[in-house]
Amino acid sequence: MEDQDQSGPSKDMQASGLNRLVEAVRRADSSQSLLSATRDLAASAEPEAATVLVEVLGFNNPGAAVAAVDGLIRLQGGAVEALLQLDPQNYGARAWAVRALAGIGDVRGLELLVEALGSDVAASVRRAAAKGLGSLRLEHLQPTEQQRIRQRCLQTLLAAGHDGEWVVRYAVAAALESLASCPGSSGPLLPDLLAGLQQLSDDEDGNPPVVQLRARLALERIQQS
Amino acid sequence: MAGPSGNSAPASPADHQAGAPISEAEAIERLRQVQDPSQQYYAAWWLGRMRSHHPEAVPLLCLALRQRRPRDPGAGVEENAVARNAVRALGKLAPLALAAVPDLLEVLEDEDDGLREAAARSLGELRARAAVEPLCRRLAGGPRQAGAVRADSPRLMEPCEALLEALGDIGQASEQVMAVLEPFVDHDWPLIRSAAARALLQLSGQERWGALLVDLLDHPQLQVRRAALMDLGAAGWRPALEPIRRTLAENSLKLMALRGLVEQGSGEPAEPALLACMDELL
Repeated sequence: MEDQDQSGPSKDMQASGLNRLVEAVRRADSSQSLLSATRDLAASAEPEAATVLVEVLGFNNPGAAVAAVDGLIRLQGGAVEALLQLDPQNYGARAWAVRALAGIGDVRGLELLVEALGSDVAASVRRAAAKGLGSLRLEHLQPTEQQRIRQRCLQTLLAAGHDGEWVVRYAVAAALESLASCPGSSGPLLPDLLAGLQQLSDDEDGNPPVVQLRARLALERIQQS
Repeated sequence: MAGPSGNSAPASPADHQAGAPISEAEAIERLRQVQDPSQQYYAAWWLGRMRSHHPEAVPLLCLALRQRRPRDPGAGVEENAVARNAVRALGKLAPLALAAVPDLLEVLEDEDDGLREAAARSLGELRARAAVEPLCRRLAGGPRQAGAVRADSPRLMEPCEALLEALGDIGQASEQVMAVLEPFVDHDWPLIRSAAARALLQLSGQERWGALLVDLLDHPQLQVRRAALMDLGAAGWRPALEPIRRTLAENSLKLMALRGLVEQGSGEPAEPALLACMDELL
């Protein structure tokens, strides 16, 4: 953010700027100062910031974690390795990591998202994982590989269509719609996918009106496209 | 601040029989026995949570809500906890629990204000018109009496939040009810103002009460913003869409509020805009 009037700050200056931002996060001694330091670091959009932003996910400070997730999503693929290296025992941090991976849509996050949607105890994490499984970016892969991964996403989402929490089923309906809108390879998935949406649009399984509405909207849009 | 899903503070008995899944028949038996109150406490919660249709559920819960016992730290169950969970469960068991309305009306007169609070919420969930008169009577003293802070605890003389919300949920918009509710929008506590505005909005649909709740979304305390979210959701006040999106609170609560706008509300913004906002918050 500094040196805006210079056409190209040197590598050294970038590094020292980053160090200063990292230092500020490490030295933060109140939840407010941690939040603003994290926001600054997130705004730097420096790939080297990823490891530290991932550390912030484990600080048990929701405000700072939200800012860190935003920063990690901004780093896109550059944040994925750091996110995948998280200690699985660090439950709180992992919940935030699922949100970041869902937002990034990188296929390396697939396994973590599948696991989170199937078995995380927090509905907010399952909800984010469902959204992520509907929006993985696969364009760079071979068509057969794309197909295999989409099939995996679909089966995981269909299973979560019976989740006990309405908000997860809502997220599944939205995710199924985005999965159907993937260019090209959704054809063979379509019958199962539509059947899943059909079920969510039904009130027999105790789906509340909002879930039924979302599923019906998805069905309409898919059938119009 | 019961949300659109209609439940109040979660009574998850995590420390009693944690996590052990039981069958409906097992829950009924645990409620029937009286030796172990912690088993009854869990069973009552379970029957409500699972929306049991078992023919014995309501009669046994009515027996359980008469159970009064002093606090027994050894059993891990506090005073009147079984009765309170039974009252809460009955609120979730409409239409079968309509038979229990007279029992709940009695609990509304109990000396334990925690039980009165639970009874008010359940009567609201059951839309029990017979409760309107006693609820109004309890609130009649207004913010300076029913809403006065007790000398011996940081609580109010009456569980005002629950009483106000019950009147809104029951939905009888008579002049008498409105006159009882209105003074509470000037209560010192923002949570009470929120509950009163919610009920008034549910009963009248008037914009000024919606505006009052929207203002509370900017309150510096998170707890107040959360309550305003739930109250806007319960009233289905769709003009609050943008303020809900912007307020500083967890997405989970915003999603619950927006579900309320979709399911309880009508008019503009229409459903596609509401659902699009929900999608963003997932």
